[in-house]
Amino acid sequence: MNRIDASEHYDESGFTGQTPSLLTVVIDTNPRAWAAIHDLLPISKAIANILVFINAHLAYGNENQVAVLAAHTNRAVWLYPVSPNPEHPPLARRRNGSAKDVEMAGPDHHGHRPREPQLGTSANKYPQFAKIESSILASLRSLIDSTSPSDLNPTTLISGALSMALSYIHKTSLAFESPKTSADPANPTTTPSAKTAVPNLHARILVLSVSQSEPAQYIPTMNAVFAASHARIPIDTLALYSAPTFLQQAAFITNGVFLSAAANPRGLLTYLMFGFLADVDARASLVVPTQDSVDFRAACFCHRNVVDTGFVCSICLSIFCDVPENAECLTCGTKLALGNYGAKPAVIPRKKKKRKRVNGGGREETGSATGTPGPA
Amino acid sequence: MADSDGEYQADDASEDEFRDHQVSSGTPLDSRSHPRTDKPKKGGRKSGKAAWEDLQRSWDVVVEGADGTLAGAIEGLAEAQKRARLLKDTTPLQRGIIRHLVLVLDMSFAMLEKDLLPTRHLLSMAYASEFVQEYFEQNPISQLAIIGMRDGIAVRISDMSGNPGDHLEKLQGWVKQDPQGNPSLQNALEMCRGALFHTPTHGTREVLIVYGALMSSDPGDIRDTLQSLIKDRIRVSIVGLAAQVAICEELCSKTNGGDTSGYNIALDEPNFRDLLLEVTTPPITRTKEQNNASLLMMGFPSRTLAAPETTNYCACHHRPTREGYGCTRCGTRVCRLPAECPGCGLTLILSTHLARSYHHLFPLRNWIEVPWAEARRSKSCYSCLSPFPHVPGRSGVNSKGQEKQDRPPVKGLSESARYACEVCGNHFCIDCDLFAHEVLHNCPGCQSDTRGAAQTSDANGTAMEIDS
Repeated sequence: MNRIDASEHYDESGFTGQTPSLLTVVIDTNPRAWAAIHDLLPISKAIANILVFINAHLAYGNENQVAVLAAHTNRAVWLYPVSPNPEHPPLARRRNGSAKDVEMAGPDHHGHRPREPQLGTSANKYPQFAKIESSILASLRSLIDSTSPSDLNPTTLISGALSMALSYIHKTSLAFESPKTSADPANPTTTPSAKTAVPNLHARILVLSVSQSEPAQYIPTMNAVFAASHARIPIDTLALYSAPTFLQQAAFITNGVFLSAAANPRGLLTYLMFGFLADVDARASLVVPTQDSVDFRAACFCHRNVVDTGFVCSICLSIFCDVPENAECLTCGTKLALGNYGAKPAVIPRKKKKRKRVNGGGREETGSATGTPGPA
Repeated sequence: MADSDGEYQADDASEDEFRDHQVSSGTPLDSRSHPRTDKPKKGGRKSGKAAWEDLQRSWDVVVEGADGTLAGAIEGLAEAQKRARLLKDTTPLQRGIIRHLVLVLDMSFAMLEKDLLPTRHLLSMAYASEFVQEYFEQNPISQLAIIGMRDGIAVRISDMSGNPGDHLEKLQGWVKQDPQGNPSLQNALEMCRGALFHTPTHGTREVLIVYGALMSSDPGDIRDTLQSLIKDRIRVSIVGLAAQVAICEELCSKTNGGDTSGYNIALDEPNFRDLLLEVTTPPITRTKEQNNASLLMMGFPSRTLAAPETTNYCACHHRPTREGYGCTRCGTRVCRLPAECPGCGLTLILSTHLARSYHHLFPLRNWIEVPWAEARRSKSCYSCLSPFPHVPGRSGVNSKGQEKQDRPPVKGLSESARYACEVCGNHFCIDCDLFAHEVLHNCPGCQSDTRGAAQTSDANGTAMEIDS
């Protein structure tokens, strides 16, 4: 109404309180990597710390929500809310009696029925905390139970977990969107400046990473990262073991926080609480930890080498570390002209020797006194 | 329905029209199955219909549901419309990813019209800035310039550059200026030719015109300009706001090798936006001589900070900075990417700029509709966990069958509200389908389960216990 006739009407936006915040935690559950840091931080302790962090997030606001995913070696699964789909028929039945039990459990957290309610029946515990805790523990246990030694490859499906998390966030934010703004491209009063409306849901993704980035997942991961930056969802990363390059880039692109706790994984809870608890709103008034340097080198398509100067096909933008055979692009098969490859950069021609004999002889001899240093 | 006011068409005619619309709205594959009654008529007219002849009445499409309400049908149509956008073919085509585009905005008296709210001018300005953002989102290493048509001449709004910020800033300055004077297509096109003159041959050269007027006051013969446009391999596409203009159609068809799909008239505001944003997708490279593929040498510098207690001067803007990127060949520091190294001329970009376009190379395949027979496998969307409607049991089959007859078979709409990825076989909801294909470009199912690929899924049956 206000937008149409520009008059002041009763505005209730001041009474709505804080915007709900959805925290999506992606836990890297690669057993090998956790085994590597088992002496410092066993996974059970880490999960306990994460649960404290999740509870803190929920306690921050009444409407805050949480979703938890596990990025396992060969799949990404929901830990909370639990997927009602019969994922592993034999396993689901064993855990659950009959799969039909949970069929009504939607994405709505409040309508969710925990799988093992006896875990969270303490009278001294806030029911929502207990519900989430029991759900996460039960799903994680069933995930670990179903892992066979043959699954133990060193990779982690971060890209899948990010994709699922983004889909979930997208769906949830659709539910929060007011109907007025949902299909509003033709809003008559759209002016270029009035585009950034306040979102109704602050979503963010926190990745607890313990393993290296897998080069094979480069493209899907980057797709997910760009989707996140498109939707202004920061991807935060806490690296407990090594330095995951792609997640480092993800944090940079999406304005997230990247922290490495590899030096002292025992301080996990402190890192989480002080580095990652603030939501997007609060971060605007905080000085968040920044990354000093980001490794932006690319992996070439031909040998998976990490290169800093490469050759790029102008058709498909594939990166090669060297001129491919016959100058044919390996991805799209186009015959490529070599362009000005190998051309000398434009430097001042070697006339400098003349300068030695007369001091300040010509008027043109301004600028730098020495020539561009050649290749030593 | 038949007795409602204003109904003058026999039922079969409306049905026909409905199909007609279906065929024309991006599902050309489907034309084989429908006997087209209007074929002979069309044969008489040489070329296709004009846009206004193909009018589709939305009220003909809506059919009452079994319960006498329209809710079901409308919902279905909305969903089908959403999906229609998606059902473009996913065959990888060669596209020009390095683009050079000039956006020409009409700023003549014709833009004062208020048939598009609030005015044509304000709306096209708003959409132009949206276009700029989307263009660089989709084509991160492409270049853009903006030109205005005003007072009979062409006005340069922003120069060729790869930085969206520059364009948006300059555009803002023109929002408040009221449009005036006559537009001149020829002047604008000549200026576009000048702006695109230096662009390298491996990129595309395109002009997108937003044209509100029905006339053009030109200093000379626009056909000469047209010939030189063809010679310079510049493609013109035009979004008209009023009505079709012959010279615009000629411009589009002649510069696009006879293809008139580049000339469209906006029906309403959302349509205008769609038409504009459609152009952000890289165009298909048509002919061999048009692409002069070459191997470009590029540097991927890492972001570094200056040494403590010091600052660096960036070579591109001569400003002191603390963070920057060092050229990988000569070590010159630049403050922003993408850039051309001021020292040695090497193209410096972020690898992420390239990665942004990879989804064009490996497009996500369309998902298929899931019939009820296969719907039993899932209870909720694989990725967002929102519940699906229940599979009707034996008793439900009857009512379902009725409903199916009532409802027109909307192309691309799944009866069970499930959409399945053909690779991983998981079921998704319509929202995730849209999100995955338009924004994410990943299949969450394929990405989050590699067991199928590794053929280890049988191992789960035995499920060894390795409880730790």
